[in-house]
Amino acid sequence: MTLLVSLVVATIFGSGCYLLLKGDLFRVVAGTVLISNAAVLTLIAAGFTRGAAPIRPFPQGSQVSDPLVQALALTALIIGFGVTALLLTVAFRVYASSRTVDLDQLSRMEASREDELEETED
Amino acid sequence: MEPQTRTEPDERAPFVVSDSAARRRDGAGAEAGPLGPFPPAAALAATLAALAFAAILYAWLRGGGSIDLPWAPTLGLRLHFRLDALGALYALLATGIGAAVFLYSGRYLRLHLASDGRPARDERSFYAFMLLFAVSMVGLATAQDLLLLFVFWDLTAIASYFLIGFDRHETASWSGALMALLVTGITAVALLVGSVILFVAHGTFSLPEIIAHARPGTTLTVAAALIAVAGLAKSAQVPFHFWLPNAMVAPTPVSAYLHSAAMVAAGVLLIGRTYPLLAQSQLVLDGMLVVGLASMLTGGLIALTRERLKQVLAYSTVAQYGYMVALYGLGGAAGAVGGAFFVAAHALAKSALFMVSGAVTQASDGEERLGRLGGRWRTMPIVAVAGALAAAALAGLPLTVGFFKDELLFKAALKRGPLVTALVAAGPVLTLAYIGRFWGRIFLGRPRQAPTGPGSPPATLVAPIAVLALLSLAFGLWIAPLESLAGAVGSVSLAGKPAGISLAYYLDARATNLIALGVYALGGLLLATYRHWLPVAQGFARVALRFGPERAYVSSLRQANRLSSALHRVEVRDLRRRVAWVLVPCGVLVAAGLLATPTVGQYAIGKLGVGDAPLAILLALAAAAALAATVPRSQLVLVLVLSASGYSLAAVFALFGAPDVALVAVLVETLFALLFVAVFSLLPDDVLRREQSLSVSHSRRWRDPLVGVVSGFFALAVVWGTLSSPVPSDRRVAERLIDLAPAAHGKDVVTAILSDFRALDTLAEVTVLVIALAGVAGALTRRRSR
Amino acid sequence: MSPSNVLPRAVARFLLLPIGMIAVALFVKGLSSTGDGFVAGTVAALGIVLQDVVFGHREAERLLPVRRAPLVAAVGLGLGLAIAFAPLLFGDPVLTHLPPAEEKVTKLGTLELATSVAFDAAVFLTVFGVVVGIVRELAWAAEREDEE
Repeated sequence: MTLLVSLVVATIFGSGCYLLLKGDLFRVVAGTVLISNAAVLTLIAAGFTRGAAPIRPFPQGSQVSDPLVQALALTALIIGFGVTALLLTVAFRVYASSRTVDLDQLSRMEASREDELEETED
Repeated sequence: MEPQTRTEPDERAPFVVSDSAARRRDGAGAEAGPLGPFPPAAALAATLAALAFAAILYAWLRGGGSIDLPWAPTLGLRLHFRLDALGALYALLATGIGAAVFLYSGRYLRLHLASDGRPARDERSFYAFMLLFAVSMVGLATAQDLLLLFVFWDLTAIASYFLIGFDRHETASWSGALMALLVTGITAVALLVGSVILFVAHGTFSLPEIIAHARPGTTLTVAAALIAVAGLAKSAQVPFHFWLPNAMVAPTPVSAYLHSAAMVAAGVLLIGRTYPLLAQSQLVLDGMLVVGLASMLTGGLIALTRERLKQVLAYSTVAQYGYMVALYGLGGAAGAVGGAFFVAAHALAKSALFMVSGAVTQASDGEERLGRLGGRWRTMPIVAVAGALAAAALAGLPLTVGFFKDELLFKAALKRGPLVTALVAAGPVLTLAYIGRFWGRIFLGRPRQAPTGPGSPPATLVAPIAVLALLSLAFGLWIAPLESLAGAVGSVSLAGKPAGISLAYYLDARATNLIALGVYALGGLLLATYRHWLPVAQGFARVALRFGPERAYVSSLRQANRLSSALHRVEVRDLRRRVAWVLVPCGVLVAAGLLATPTVGQYAIGKLGVGDAPLAILLALAAAAALAATVPRSQLVLVLVLSASGYSLAAVFALFGAPDVALVAVLVETLFALLFVAVFSLLPDDVLRREQSLSVSHSRRWRDPLVGVVSGFFALAVVWGTLSSPVPSDRRVAERLIDLAPAAHGKDVVTAILSDFRALDTLAEVTVLVIALAGVAGALTRRRSR
Repeated sequence: MSPSNVLPRAVARFLLLPIGMIAVALFVKGLSSTGDGFVAGTVAALGIVLQDVVFGHREAERLLPVRRAPLVAAVGLGLGLAIAFAPLLFGDPVLTHLPPAEEKVTKLGTLELATSVAFDAAVFLTVFGVVVGIVRELAWAAEREDEE
């Protein structure tokens, strides 16, 4: 089970990193979603317990899942939601002002704009 | 931005305030406007400073006092101020000369602003920062805690930045301000490091305690040297002296205050305050002596050659503070008392001289070159007499307070033998020559150019000069008050030992008197034969300015700029490269960690029973969906696959006994899907299609998957290692929380944690959400206004 | 109104009440069973968002008294901060909840009336406001894009 969970976390994390390097801004956002999912799964798995839900009254004789990691995971999920919403909007803003979400093109545009600025300064 | 500095003051450059061009541009307004009622801001500031002066004087005469409040008790930091003799001396200088300078500023600043075509309300920031500076100086003078000292130290640097850069429309002005800030700010780090070394050694930042416990040794020498470096840079000593002449771009009242009684004095104040520590290392003392002598001679020689009034005075300040540092370096009672005495004597004379230069410049239509002035005693006799008194005090002539400062200097030097005495005596010789030239060129002879300005300065410009000059004379005749104060300061610097120095005129052939006579003779000779050796001094000045440390400053600033733009080019422009800059070092660190820790037996495979089959299947599904997310080109498919992964994980959470997390995960995944689709619906189809058909460059086609696989492996190594070795004690936290939940009136332990035990987390999380909403709204509405 | 829209509209209208009830239930049962302010807020917000999707946000905003979602979020955050820092006025640490552990609480069904419930309500309001607010902002942005 430990190995299986670790493998799954690794796969999700690796996929997220791969998406992060893509040229399309929305895929970058998708990559951050995957990476945060991997983090949440790690947190939950780090409870080292699989048992009944931590809600009273507990069933007799069985172990109770660690509530603390669950609370932490909840906080992580919710903050992840806020951050992703913001990232998506920012990606849209980038599109709206430059009419592209292609990172290569964006960095080329920024480079040329900067050169223009430096020329006017001189 | 290119660092703008000057290796050699160009005769034509708008180097000093109130340049004549600006004045001509706005000539009419300059004469009519400013002579209204005395500016209330200046009156208020002067009154405040005078009241503070009176209060400090009263408190000191009543025996001082101290304030000791806890600041950060866990770190052992206290707001500890004490009005001892050293604190009183510098606080009195800061407030007393402050009051005179504020009085002087009232008219001067109005004229200055009018000649630059700036509105009178700009003066408000001037008074605000001058007051901040004065308060910081008083705090610095009385602080008994090294960290507190550092805070006020930096406050003075910040205030000085705004004051030196007061003429913000001039490039020279802000580059001079930046230079002062950088040189004194970067060296301030030395003070901090020295303080931390002392803290580590003695467990406290409190100066009296450190002084009580400090013993000579390498640690103390290093700390003392670092503190001394900060003090020397602030006092504009070689090789940090170059910021001071460049700071002369400030309006004259700023120079009269910062560069005579306050900012440069802060350096010597620090040395005097930490002298019991510095004096335990002969190495530090010798270093200070060398630096002091070098500053004395360099400053004096260059001052001889300068044309602009304030440049002469700036290099003179470098030289004069060289005396003080040399005095502290010479050590002993004469050194410690002399350093303190010198500060007071110099501050009175030098601020008066700065004000003289400002008054002369204002009255001469902005003219500030010695070669174009002359014969001004006719139009401004009071200023001429006051200037003569101040110059005499600076040159150390008898009957002025300056005589005693030189006497103390010679007395301290004599203990170190004839060579040091000869070198030390060279300083006053140069002083006599350059200050004689300064005064003579302004006030004597024929006017080399007919005065075109208003002619005579207003009374509020003259009065402060006269008062300060008269004080220089008065203390020269009645030395007792200053003598006792300086003696007390000396005993603070000597860690409580009485200094036992008495000052008086002795009409006999004692060594100090003979040296003084020799100095007058040589100085007079230099002044008389000025023309013959001027080229020598000029040659020295040219070499010193061209190859001086300022060059290193300029080039290091330029290099820093170049490095910054290079980094910007490499790193900031491309998001993916930036990500790589984060991921790669992370990977290297993790790999190093893996290599450094034993791994055999650290990894457990874990049990997987038949009952776990649903969980295993869901986990595999989540992983497969995540992997699948890397494949599709269509954005919609990407979102669907992403959701599939997320929902599978939610089911996993449910099976892990975490129903709350599962519920939230489902909802968050739903919202993600909704948001992604909503944003995609905002983009025109052709953009989406174009993005889908983007071809991936060849190098990237192999590199990106490789990066993904490698980072996946590192995640595997870390997560597997973590999950394989559960720490049993962690369980106790969980059990305690479970036991406590009923006390929070909750049966669901997770909710109890969220709303009670760790509610601060929840509060922060909710705040993040609201900030995200604000960000979203901001990003989208700015579009609306376009 | 095209005929193909009739069914979704009717269903969306019909679903509003059950969704609201579920949200309230999730909130009320929060401390004794699965669910809390965040979950309840999100569910309620999804109910509103459903109306937006079906009716278009203009009509939905007219039909439902949720005009100023950001304001709701701000009120929620303000309430949360107030509950968090009010104990300071009485000399207690931040986020001290009332009543204290040993004392009896007024019960309303399974809901035990403690200040932590009010705190949860603050979370509910904030989350509701934020989710509805973000979706509405995007809807407005979409409309402006269409106009251009």
